[in-house]
Amino acid sequence: MKQTLHSATLDNGIVLLGEDLPGLESVAVAFHTPAGAVHDGPGRCGLATLSGEMMLRGAGDRTSRDIVEVLEGSGIQWAQSVSTSHASFAGAMVARQLPTALPIYADILRRPRLPDDELENARQMVLQNLAGTEDDPAHRAMSALRQLHYPHPLGMPSEGISADVEAIGIEDVRSFVAAHVVPRGMIIAIAGRIDWNDFVTRVEALFGDWDTEDASTVAIGSRGERVRHVPHDSQQTHIALAWSVPPYRYDESYEASAALSVLGGGSSSRLFSEVRERRGLCYSVSAGYHTLRDYASAICYSGTSAARAQETLDVMLAEIDRLPGTIEEAELDRVKSRAKSALVMQQESSAARAAWIARQWYHLGSVRSLAEELARYDRLNVASVEGWLAANRPAGLTVVSLGKEPLEVPREVSA
Amino acid sequence: MKFLHERLPNGLDVIAEVTDTALSTSIGFFVKTGARDETDAEWGVSHFLEHMVFKGTTDLSADEINRRFDWMGASANAFTSEEDTAYHAAVLPEQQIEATALLARMMRPALREEDFDTEKLVILEEIRMYDDQPPFGADDRCRTTFFGHHPLARSVLGTVESIERMPVETMRDYHRRRYSPGNIVLCATGAVDFAALVDSARQWCGDWEPLAIPPRRAPLDLGAARGPTLELLTRPTSTLEYAVRMSPGPAGDDDDRFAAKLLAAILGDTSGSRLYWAMVDTGRAEQASCHHQDFLDAGMFATQLSCDPEDAEELLGIIDEVYRGAAEQGLDRREFEQNRNKLAGRWVLLGERPRRRLFDVGPEWAHSGDYRSVADDLRTIENLSLEDVHRVLARWPLHGTGSTVLAGPLPLDPSLETASEAQ
Repeated sequence: MKQTLHSATLDNGIVLLGEDLPGLESVAVAFHTPAGAVHDGPGRCGLATLSGEMMLRGAGDRTSRDIVEVLEGSGIQWAQSVSTSHASFAGAMVARQLPTALPIYADILRRPRLPDDELENARQMVLQNLAGTEDDPAHRAMSALRQLHYPHPLGMPSEGISADVEAIGIEDVRSFVAAHVVPRGMIIAIAGRIDWNDFVTRVEALFGDWDTEDASTVAIGSRGERVRHVPHDSQQTHIALAWSVPPYRYDESYEASAALSVLGGGSSSRLFSEVRERRGLCYSVSAGYHTLRDYASAICYSGTSAARAQETLDVMLAEIDRLPGTIEEAELDRVKSRAKSALVMQQESSAARAAWIARQWYHLGSVRSLAEELARYDRLNVASVEGWLAANRPAGLTVVSLGKEPLEVPREVSA
Repeated sequence: MKFLHERLPNGLDVIAEVTDTALSTSIGFFVKTGARDETDAEWGVSHFLEHMVFKGTTDLSADEINRRFDWMGASANAFTSEEDTAYHAAVLPEQQIEATALLARMMRPALREEDFDTEKLVILEEIRMYDDQPPFGADDRCRTTFFGHHPLARSVLGTVESIERMPVETMRDYHRRRYSPGNIVLCATGAVDFAALVDSARQWCGDWEPLAIPPRRAPLDLGAARGPTLELLTRPTSTLEYAVRMSPGPAGDDDDRFAAKLLAAILGDTSGSRLYWAMVDTGRAEQASCHHQDFLDAGMFATQLSCDPEDAEELLGIIDEVYRGAAEQGLDRREFEQNRNKLAGRWVLLGERPRRRLFDVGPEWAHSGDYRSVADDLRTIENLSLEDVHRVLARWPLHGTGSTVLAGPLPLDPSLETASEAQ
């Protein structure tokens, strides 16, 4: 399959990435600034999220309403989000609207007004969202899992903690934006029906004279306890498990992620077959791979009624324990087939590809072509996956349960 | 993009929207059956049957089905709604024949009692899962009140009781009656080899026995029974209060349904709408939104609110004022154009994803026997006028009407109950 990828770096450090997707009418552009939740700071969990929200509340000559009205009036689907590593602003649109969109994003990123009189509204919005997550038991279980498993502050919830969000002042927001919404470490990715040279010229004009600052680094602390029960008055108990695996930038992450996919990736995976299909213990059960730049985890999840939660946990642990030494070629073939097919189908979405190439750059410092990526999957085999598993048996599990009653977790699981 | 259609002698419709540049092929069997087609004794059977279809046929085990989908690299799933049950897979084009064959064979499941008993446990877990999640049953209760004795009042999942007491014979009988070839559409979108699709249909579905299908439409009385009502479901442990409100709107066969969707966007899209600026932007509500949903013979505007429990009553009042203001003072041209462009932009983006198109093309044909291209829909959206939207507001006013259900920590308040009765 023919694929055209582009990249360029501005003098101030902004990295531009592009991919032509000739079958499409749309383009998707995403601005990833290094203003992620990892920089929230002590007692300020949620600062990145509140700052991201504040950046939309007036920028340059535009009010908050102007920004939304111009974007939506031009048929641009916009989104803003904050992850551990980045604050991201994205838009998908018919290709001819790109010249309208880019100056708006330039204002948001370079000239946010951060008005004092919008802080309370923005804060209330963040607090409302937090209150909503309190009512989502699966989200709470996963959030607690990440918080315990990753070294501080990498697992802190990007959506914030209520008490911290209450304490944030306008100066916190202004300092945060000044320190972290900077060119160095910023990635602008575009995919779809693009004119690369025109795009680079426009971005250069809008962002080229932005003075560079060095992106800040964060001191990494220790991780939390291995086992936690979160009391919650619900019919179901939610079980979340994690253990450490290599991050995406290590080549063996492909072996790790294939092993996890055998465990709980598709509907023929072991967890789905054993926990749901054969025993009818739950509606949802899965295992997957989650990566930050320097840390990554295997994550398993299931939600089931309280009376059957212990059996569900026991079966999940037994399947994890049974994995090394038992992987069959047919299982691995299915995993490879699913991964490759998903990668090809991703080419049908400009937004998905813009996100993907940015993710690759962040982790690898380069973008792998589709051909390279497919070839890497072809090189996976039972010996390579088993070799990795033998050297990296699942151990030191973090176990979170959320529900009425705590579960019994065998001591050796978390050792 | 081109559209192709062929009907097998037994009544099965085979349709495709072919996009030459697509990289994937999406295939779906759309069965014209859902919760509205159930009797009391069958409550929840459509959805339960959807699960059982993955449990295998007389010569294919459940494991074998799961393994085959994964081996094809398929993204396969199914869903059940009030009116449709759909089984679908997205694959690379070279897997079209294999994926079609597998889905087709699944349409004639074994429905073994042993599998039925195990899967029943999974369905009960699914019911419990939704029961633990916002809006904590407010949506189902609101639909029940709003639709009254109309078949659309029935919730899709059923209840713990209706599922527990259901024998396998009920499902076998339902399957025999409802999965008749004349009641099914085989639809494909993307990179489709249509000749091969029709061949697959003939090979695997050609011997399905046709049965007469009773008509599905039911008259919907939107008279006095739909006057404003308010109910409370108390959930002491939830943090926010969740409100769902339903009021009448144009049905699926009404030309005003597009204008209704535009009206809902102006009033209550999740960003940039009147409700958004009134209470989401200011952080008073976690969510305050409105959308239009249409069915074969009915339509509604559904409003959703989540907020601090103590603000719920006041915010419901503000929502009513926003709706009243729109009806009495009209909408301005600028917000009309902004939202029309927003809908058009959304449509273009959705339209270029064949995996997404399957869920427009399949149900549209199943409901109306029509095909509408992305260009048809875009033309309709671009031709909408402010007058069209005002006409919808006049025909189906959203204020001072509708069924509202609140779920959350709010205790049963005698004053609220009285207010409801007095209305």
